[in-house]
Amino acid sequence: MAPRDPPPPTPTATPGPAEQPALPARAETVVIGGGVIGLAIAWNLARLGKSDIVILERSYLAAGASGRNGGGIRQQWSTELNIRLMQESVALVKRFTADLGINVWLRQGGYLFLARTDTERGFLEQNAALQQRCGVGTRVLTPAEANEIVPELDVSGFAAAAYNPSDGILFPWPFLWGYADGAVKLGARLHCFTDVTAIDRPPANDAAGDFTVHTSRGAIRAHRVINAAGAWSPEIARLVGVELPDRPVRHEILSTEPLKPFLRPMVSVLGTGLYFSQSMRGEIVGGVSIHGDRHTLAMGSRLKFLTTMARALCELVPQFGEVQVLRQWAGPYDVTVDGNPILGEPPGLPRFYLCCGFMGHGFMMAPVIGKYYGEWLAGGKPHEIFDKWTLARFASGQLAKETFIIG
Amino acid sequence: MIDRRLQPSLRFSGNGPGALAGPGPGDGPGAAGQPGAPEAGTRGRLLARGEAVTLDLEGDPVPAFRGETVAVALFASGARALSRSLKYHRPRSFFCLAGHCGACLMRIDGRPNVKACQTPCSDGLRVASQNAWPSAEHDAFGVVDWLFPRGMDHHHMFTGSRAMNAVLRKVTRQMSGLGRLPDPRPGNVRPETPPLRRLAGASAPDVLVVGAGPAGLAAATAAARAGARVLGIDDGAVPGGSLLADPGHGLAAAASSVREARAAGAEVRAASPMIGYFPEDGGGLAAIRTPDALWLVQPRTTIYATGGYDQNALFEDNDRPGVISGRAAGRLLVRFGVRPARRAVVAGDAPYAAALAAELAAAGITVTRTPRVQRAHGRAWVSAATLADGSRVTCDLIAVCETPAPASEPARQHGCAVTLQPARGGFCIDTDAAGLTSLPGVFACGDVTGYQGPDAAALDGARVGAAAAAAASAARAREAATP
Amino acid sequence: MSGKVIVCRCEDVTLHDVEHTLARGYRDIEEVKRYTGFGTGPCQGKECLRVVACLLAERTGVAPSAIAPFTTRPPIASVPLRLLAGPGAEDLTSARDDDATDEDHGMAG
Ligand SMILES: Cc1cc2nc3c(=O)[nH]c(=O)nc-3n(C[C@H](O)[C@H](O)[C@H](O)COP(=O)(O)OP(=O)(O)OC[C@H]3O[C@@H](n4cnc5c(N)ncnc54)[C@H](O)[C@@H]3O)c2cc1C
Ligand code: FES
Repeated sequence: MAPRDPPPPTPTATPGPAEQPALPARAETVVIGGGVIGLAIAWNLARLGKSDIVILERSYLAAGASGRNGGGIRQQWSTELNIRLMQESVALVKRFTADLGINVWLRQGGYLFLARTDTERGFLEQNAALQQRCGVGTRVLTPAEANEIVPELDVSGFAAAAYNPSDGILFPWPFLWGYADGAVKLGARLHCFTDVTAIDRPPANDAAGDFTVHTSRGAIRAHRVINAAGAWSPEIARLVGVELPDRPVRHEILSTEPLKPFLRPMVSVLGTGLYFSQSMRGEIVGGVSIHGDRHTLAMGSRLKFLTTMARALCELVPQFGEVQVLRQWAGPYDVTVDGNPILGEPPGLPRFYLCCGFMGHGFMMAPVIGKYYGEWLAGGKPHEIFDKWTLARFASGQLAKETFIIG
Repeated sequence: MIDRRLQPSLRFSGNGPGALAGPGPGDGPGAAGQPGAPEAGTRGRLLARGEAVTLDLEGDPVPAFRGETVAVALFASGARALSRSLKYHRPRSFFCLAGHCGACLMRIDGRPNVKACQTPCSDGLRVASQNAWPSAEHDAFGVVDWLFPRGMDHHHMFTGSRAMNAVLRKVTRQMSGLGRLPDPRPGNVRPETPPLRRLAGASAPDVLVVGAGPAGLAAATAAARAGARVLGIDDGAVPGGSLLADPGHGLAAAASSVREARAAGAEVRAASPMIGYFPEDGGGLAAIRTPDALWLVQPRTTIYATGGYDQNALFEDNDRPGVISGRAAGRLLVRFGVRPARRAVVAGDAPYAAALAAELAAAGITVTRTPRVQRAHGRAWVSAATLADGSRVTCDLIAVCETPAPASEPARQHGCAVTLQPARGGFCIDTDAAGLTSLPGVFACGDVTGYQGPDAAALDGARVGAAAAAAASAARAREAATP
Repeated sequence: MSGKVIVCRCEDVTLHDVEHTLARGYRDIEEVKRYTGFGTGPCQGKECLRVVACLLAERTGVAPSAIAPFTTRPPIASVPLRLLAGPGAEDLTSARDDDATDEDHGMAG
């Protein structure tokens, strides 16, 4: 390795609240939400020549779920659609550094799911078969075989495990910077610390008229608006009189002291929602479900989480007993009843695009969703997800159940 | 592995310059319940050491005494670099000696990343360096430091070539982390998980005082004298906070302040940092990590008297072992009876710098004062300093005397408003005249509201302790009134 | 050995790294933290927060009083997992039954 100076500064990034440039009067596309979803769509649109984009983010770039997640990326799902999308997303993640010039530290150490009961074992077996048909290398393992992959595990009481070596983890924040820099280089404009407070629908007498998006820093007109506000998307939709069925659920997570590399896969336990992996810096990063939680956008940290997580970790990996917790935080899952996102235009409101409801897996989905959304809005043929994952499905009951959900 | 130079112990003994002074043993602040705790003389210096023990330093015996911490015992017997740093494998040794910085992490008793400066010595305690090969002093990976002379933007490194990028990711993963996973218990049995202890309702303190330095001890005393039930906690191995670093106060002052607080009825516990305030759990709980169990406390009022964290100055190679905080030099001298250096540079103009320099000189150390160091020289330990005026002096210690940064983390996490005031040390807790913060029932006093120094902090503490006791008694009255 | 000026000892972040990050346009303390990694090490910023906050004020011309610290996250002092795993935590409240209220909407977490 030779010493190398970092590349020259780019003017993209996000200056502090005081330094934001004035909003332009109009843009073809206004993206609300500077999370990974909004930024991925923006970059893809810009890449396809539709670069008259303004991205509005209420806070700094990593303030939402995208800056608070575990960075897991997997192809083990219960529906063919999600499996195939995630295969494609993994391929896009592998190209990310080449495409956008920033390291995302993808490490394909696999995902190891542990099952305690026979029902859970059946669930893993059935899904592994489906995943194999799609070309994913998932294997169902005995507890002893799982122990060969992670010798530190106490597998007593487990019935089986499923392991796909090409799943992995990545470092979330550079995705945001990479997409943001990439979009801005192509002409998009990013406005952080800009809170959307109201949206006027196009005038009733002008079918082709603009939306007006009001913000804490002035108003901007837009031909199309993309609601990519994640867990806040129901609030944004309400500004145009649309009720969304997705709901925010607080999800807590912690990080330990940095340890020398020992843990290859992301480990997850069905039933408890426990998951943990070793980050690129050596910390154990993970979370666990807290049952009985209701909808909230609160992001405070709780002792209840700390104790529940500590107990789950100490039981599964006895050697973790003396490992020290350095930091805990929380982020919002954006939850739908069928585990799949909400895309496309709500009935009766053309040019207002939804892209939300990504549960606890929006990060890994962003590359592929951004690609198909960009292609569609740039004039291409809509992918089948835009027919399947509509808002209308919740009213019609045509749900598209994804059951392989953690947490 | 850790290299040690053969040299006579740096511990004071006999009656040499700066030697242990004063008649008769005093009451060591940690004496209660701590066998073999050090005792203090009247000038506040360590008078008698605890029982002699032997550390197991990677198989090598190292003499130590009970009452000393691992970092101090290693320093006193000539150990230099203790471990290597996370990214560049730069040599590391203690900086603050107060358990606040992350400079002295070692593998102790089979556990990684343990603060050597806070770990009490015991016989046979296993101690080892981290992140270094073959030794902390001569670490082959130190080459990384040469490759990136100014720093690195790891986000944009080797993004141009897929092959190089793959290598980068492999190497980065291999080099990541600091300590190895803790040793398994024999049989890989599950760890002991002591029950959590709840102090709420009838057993709740009226006043929780976080921090047992001059401000906290004075607050605890005043609140207890006003009739409040007081629990005082401190993260240090013994209570006393900055008194233990201050030649003008020292062990004797710490001991008498602790005695006073206890005599007034306050409970004062050391080695028990508050780890957070959790408003949503159990009706609002302060969690405290005591050495053997987690305590969950629901006080009527809380006083943050957490003092300040020692801060480094910005100069080239400011992280060299041997660059320590001025107050760490004070702690060596005052609390541990260890001579910090032969030739010391005292840098900076914090209010305590002059007294420290004088005390070092009185201990027979050649002292050079400078407003600012430009550069530290030496590798595993500092060997010289380039001073503000460009001159270079040989030294084996640079004591950095910066204004401590208010230790406002616990209060901030609780939700108290703070303001960045650079001249007063950093993020100071906002308080009104009575010491009340932006939150009802939550008070702050002493250096955590902006650097004051021990004497002013104690006065502040006494005032705020009384105010918190009054607020607690009002809260109690309200509770009694509501059936 | 090179003359690095270390700003964050735990994470080996240099003064040059911080300057580079500011020059790239990251000027909010939360972003400087994420870009450089300062404040995320074993001391969780106890040794480096004030120096970076003061640098930000100095280099960006923002008044110190307008600079907030990055979110302070528990635990304030590191805790071994086993001390958190014992019995006695079962009855800690978990659920907040409310749908989101206005005051919840901040990013305080
Ligand atoms: C603890 C946790 C762990 C997770 N682990 C994983 C994982 O391992 N793998 C994975 O793939 N996914 C994971 N996820 C899920 C993933 O993080 C999310 O699905 C994804 O980040 C969603 O991205 P987003 O852009 O939709 O939302 P967000 O990142 O939340 O972005 C929405 C943005 O909208 C902004 N906003 C809100 N209101 C307004 C307004 N009025 N005006 C302007 N801007 C506004 C917000 O500030 C926010 O930045 C996890 C999530 C959490 C919370
Ligand atoms: S010095 Fe920055 S995190 Fe410890």
